[in-house]
Amino acid sequence: MERRVVITACSAISPIGHGKDKIVESLLKGISGVKTLREDELISRFIHSRVYGTVGYPIAYDFSRQHRKTMGPVAYYACQVAKEVLAQAGLPPDFVTGGKLGVAFGSIHGSPTVQRDIYKIFFEAKDKASYQGIGAVDYLKSMVHTTAVNISRMFGITGRIIASGTACTTSSQSIGYGYEAVKYGLQDAMLCGGADEYDTITVAVFDNLLACSTAFNDRPELTPRPFDRARDGLVVAEGAGAVMLEEYEFAKKRGATILAEVIGFACNSNGGDLILPNLDGITKTLRLGLENAGINADEVDLISAHATATKMGDIIEAQAIGAVFGTEPYVTALKSYMGHTMAACGAIETVLTLYMMQDDFIAPTLNLEDIDERCAMVHHVQKLVEQKVKTAAIQNFAFGGVNTSLLIRKLT
Amino acid sequence: MTRQDIEKEVRNIFLREFEVENPEMDVNLREAYGFDSIDAIELLLEIEKFLGSELTQDEKKQAMDIRTMKQIIDYIEMLAEKRKVAAEKK
Repeated sequence: MERRVVITACSAISPIGHGKDKIVESLLKGISGVKTLREDELISRFIHSRVYGTVGYPIAYDFSRQHRKTMGPVAYYACQVAKEVLAQAGLPPDFVTGGKLGVAFGSIHGSPTVQRDIYKIFFEAKDKASYQGIGAVDYLKSMVHTTAVNISRMFGITGRIIASGTACTTSSQSIGYGYEAVKYGLQDAMLCGGADEYDTITVAVFDNLLACSTAFNDRPELTPRPFDRARDGLVVAEGAGAVMLEEYEFAKKRGATILAEVIGFACNSNGGDLILPNLDGITKTLRLGLENAGINADEVDLISAHATATKMGDIIEAQAIGAVFGTEPYVTALKSYMGHTMAACGAIETVLTLYMMQDDFIAPTLNLEDIDERCAMVHHVQKLVEQKVKTAAIQNFAFGGVNTSLLIRKLT
Repeated sequence: MTRQDIEKEVRNIFLREFEVENPEMDVNLREAYGFDSIDAIELLLEIEKFLGSELTQDEKKQAMDIRTMKQIIDYIEMLAEKRKVAAEKK
């Protein structure tokens, strides 16, 4: 049994805003959310890259103590977007708790803020009293599935839990596996997404790999620069994104607002190097996505590229897009506005694509001034395009050689 | 340490750690205030700080049946008395 799956709600907390109005304003005006890296009084002083995609505005949380006690910063982001998506979808309360709604949500490694506090005690504990500083709830706050289970607990969701933790494909897998769970009748709805909190360890990892941007430390808004000749690496960022997936007939029957249909998903592995981008693997993913959706490449109007602005990654991705889609579909790189939100990027980029579908525009790739000729074989968007988008492909690739392609279509 | 001292401290702990103001003495804490297993573990740590001594594994196991404020105060009173007797023997 294969069922149609639709998106009935979406929300994001991102470096360029929280919620649709602010995010769309940033996309239309070309406002960047990249700021100067904050001092963490630990390792930040050693990091060469001084930029970070920062959620630099207050968020009015309203979580009870019972829920707060098991939540690190990453779960705050996750639960907030989940709360907004549930409110927007308007699912009946008995459905939310009845077992037919599940959660697919992840982060790259739980809460690094809480983990750091645990390790401080681990290395510095001098006596029993300091050892007891490792609280009973620290694991619940820091574990890799903390976002998914804090969401299920907060809203009483009793369906299946999928907690992907595959770095940059975490939330694209969440949406993809959520889509499959509904498509094959295992659940009637899935709340899907990903989140990551402010974390300098992730910056250090990429910085030591020479993959982080350093040339624009004094002008953060000019980086990252996907596909641009002057790009010099990625910018780590924080945020969260979520969507509600529902079985089409169920959504239609209850009069839900349908934002788009998920028409296909593919995920594969490069089966080799865990770091380097792989043209063959990525090209296969894009083809598998089209095959799964049952559409031809020329039916895709817009591609949301993974495009982190690394030297090699962007070239490989442009080559793969060129080989599979040719020069017709518009290609935009949404990380140019906010940096790489890690586990959240697939979901945030899906949410932004839905906003563009709703409001009939395509945001240009920010900072793309001089296209690298090695990335020039696709249709880059350098200026705002006011046009309807019917079908979009959102692609993400992760450390570990994991690739995803998600295809969504606006219902007419 | 009097029973009044213990009650005052337990009320302080409930307000500070669990955001529960003036819990009633005989109600089921889980049902009335959502006091759960995670809170119970935190409470044992607070009791250790209050008594200034570590609880043994057996003493912690004895706390597993506690459901009300009154039982918490009884429990701490018992622990305090036990430590007082032990100190007098030394």
